[in-house]
Amino acid sequence: MGSTTALTVLGSPDEVRRKWEDPTFRPEYITDSDADVTFREAPGDRGTEIHVALQRADPKGKLGQVFQKVVGSVSMAKVKDELRRFKQLVETGEVARSEAAPEGERAERKLKQRPAQPLEQSELQKAGV
Amino acid sequence: MRANVWSGRNTVQVENVPDPKILNDRDAIVKITSTAICGSDLHLYDGYIPTMKKGDILGHEFMGEVVETGRGVSNLAVGDRVVVPFPIACGQCANCRNELYSACENSNPNAGLAEKMFGHPTCGIFGYSHLTGGYAGGQAEYARVPYADVGPMKIEDDLTDEQVLFLSDIFPTGYMGAEFCEITGGECIAVFGAGPVGQFAIASAVMLGAERVIAIDQFDYRLEMARNKAGATDTINFDADPDVVEQLKVMTGGRGPDAVIDAVGMESVSGHAPLQAIERLKQASRQETDSGAALRDAILACRPGGIVSVIGVYGGLMDKFPMGALMNKGLSLKTGQCHVHRYMKPLYEHVKQGHIDPSFVVTHKLGLGEAPNGFETFKHKEDECVKVVLKP
Repeated sequence: MGSTTALTVLGSPDEVRRKWEDPTFRPEYITDSDADVTFREAPGDRGTEIHVALQRADPKGKLGQVFQKVVGSVSMAKVKDELRRFKQLVETGEVARSEAAPEGERAERKLKQRPAQPLEQSELQKAGV
Repeated sequence: MRANVWSGRNTVQVENVPDPKILNDRDAIVKITSTAICGSDLHLYDGYIPTMKKGDILGHEFMGEVVETGRGVSNLAVGDRVVVPFPIACGQCANCRNELYSACENSNPNAGLAEKMFGHPTCGIFGYSHLTGGYAGGQAEYARVPYADVGPMKIEDDLTDEQVLFLSDIFPTGYMGAEFCEITGGECIAVFGAGPVGQFAIASAVMLGAERVIAIDQFDYRLEMARNKAGATDTINFDADPDVVEQLKVMTGGRGPDAVIDAVGMESVSGHAPLQAIERLKQASRQETDSGAALRDAILACRPGGIVSVIGVYGGLMDKFPMGALMNKGLSLKTGQCHVHRYMKPLYEHVKQGHIDPSFVVTHKLGLGEAPNGFETFKHKEDECVKVVLKP
């Protein structure tokens, strides 16, 4: 449970799949993992559903379950971040950046937000701007 | 630059911070000429909205002059005078295409946080917690405006800042609340809360053809504004008589208002002292984030088959929501953060035609440096305060 996620992106399945493989858009974290990715046409001209299923062995024992919950939740969070960034790039041409999260959505950043005030010049490069 | 930042519950201060920088091609930088304190800023100030961080620049109602544009912005030029809508919206996702701008699917870089709380993320909002993205706000000398090719609206006439500034939030928000009421002419509408948004909900209900508009508040000076400026036909001060439901029923011959607008939100208060004490206790002990004092009365007063329009801001969970009344009377509940982009142009036309002058709500004009005083005055309703405009 909790090892699948899905997001809908505007565009035909062919178009979305092509971009998924294009180096400018390619979600590295997901494509480098052994996740199972499927593209399905959404009903009523709503674009393409991207379904991502993470491959996981059943954890052994209570400790294993807890361990997987901790480790697993991080990787699922990263998968969701990457899906959202892919959607943003495809639909808007850029990754949404706020002053608190200038790199765009990242699981690590959620725990360590900048204050919502402009970046120093020296921070720009680090944020990939 | 100077900016008004949140530094803990009940504390804001004006500080020196770095100047904003273009982070994306579709960004623009605006030199702010006027910015306002919103009632919803008080929810941040009072500590009811989670995920605030010390140093966050506040403010989501602002306008000014474009001083820089990213490579992807071709509709704006340096020198343009613009009003900026408070929701940050990409204009290209499915929700934006359906004019549901405050549910933009792409503009919130903390979507994961918002999704945990609400099931789906909200759009990004300027200066409104990290849940809505962690964007620096507009109570400052300058602001970065993302998706500047979609949001900012050019002002190309000699209307004053105060006449057009409120197109950024409170006028469209009040208007949307009235539009939810499906007014066709002759209706009676009750508006809970005669703050700035309530005033615009009243004025909009009148513009849309309501025959009677009843304003409900606890401050006589606000009810006077509702009657004299916004166009309310009747008023109820719930401090004088806390039984609002009974009064509304009597005023409407027992039928109840055709639609009710909640322009109060999560910090509503009750005129019944014991009920108010319980509500405060529940909020203070974190048994609920959202007080239901106004919304409960609104639902109980609304006529069967009527519409409950909620534009007051709620943040989480409410205790004792009268689902039975809502269901058994067959009411419709309509709500949302305002899809400002949808309303800016048509409402700007109304202002240009002279149908309404939104500056009527302004009671205080202060320098940006006086923002902390502005928050205190506004919060405690001192000096007959309704709306504070700050001049950077």
